Amino acid sequence: MIVAEQKSLDEIKKLVGSAQKVLVVGCGTCVTVCFAGGAREAAIVAAELRMSTKLDGSPKEVTDVTVQRQCEWEYLDEIAPKLGQVDIILSLGCGVGVQAIAEHFPGTWVVPGLNTKFMGLPTEQGVWAERCAACGDCILGLTGGICPIARCSKSLLNGPCGGSLDGHCEINADISCAWQLIYDRLNSMGKLEVLMDIQPPKNWQTSRDGGPRKIVREDLRLDKKEE
Amino acid sequence: MSEDLQVVAFCCQHCAYAAADLAGGLRLQYPPSVRVVMLPCTGKIDALLVLQAFESGADGVMVAG
Repeated sequence: MIVAEQKSLDEIKKLVGSAQKVLVVGCGTCVTVCFAGGAREAAIVAAELRMSTKLDGSPKEVTDVTVQRQCEWEYLDEIAPKLGQVDIILSLGCGVGVQAIAEHFPGTWVVPGLNTKFMGLPTEQGVWAERCAACGDCILGLTGGICPIARCSKSLLNGPCGGSLDGHCEINADISCAWQLIYDRLNSMGKLEVLMDIQPPKNWQTSRDGGPRKIVREDLRLDKKEE
Repeated sequence: MSEDLQVVAFCCQHCAYAAADLAGGLRLQYPPSVRVVMLPCTGKIDALLVLQAFESGADGVMVAG
């Protein structure tokens, strides 16, 4: 899932600025399950904004709504009737959700209420950890299902480095050494020979180094002439 | 406690609300500004419910369960 964290109320108030009518838009997918921007959080942020601005002496009219997925335009259509009644949208979606709203409603000012952090999973109640860096050329088949791109601080392809100490990373003892994890897993599965292949430098063009990415599936397009 | 202060008391029906009932049976007094809201379980309480009470004008919220 995409994991995000809420911005502070002070920052949200600065982003909202002088707008009087605010629509807080939650998202029912990733940010709901990481407790950052679902229906409950949208209602709480709306209540906080109403009370805080009332205490400041300039009460705002704040309402909230949550769509199933902010990152698909079709789901955003349900908030279209409300746009004429608001000055600004405070999106509690990830960065994709904020941009989807901006693209779908060009005349509407939208600001983010979350900081989008990473793609990861909950490792225990209340703890989320990064697992994928979306490098665009998955090598998990070479590393026992543990990603050194996302989980090694140096994204090494042939690790570990000299900073690995007792299974931990040199930059922070709370971070497990990804390459130690990879070694331990391959060892436990009797597949250490996988590590005998030295990995050549990775082509990072499939990652962000190649610029913004896009996938076109001609078999799924409705109008193939359309660009 | 000042009677001007509005307090919302969220009470569990199995314990605190029953205790309030018993207090009534014993003719014990509490300020009329305390508004008791019975809940099936105070596990139902979350931040949103407390915020709604404050937004509606409560000066204080008590959770008893």
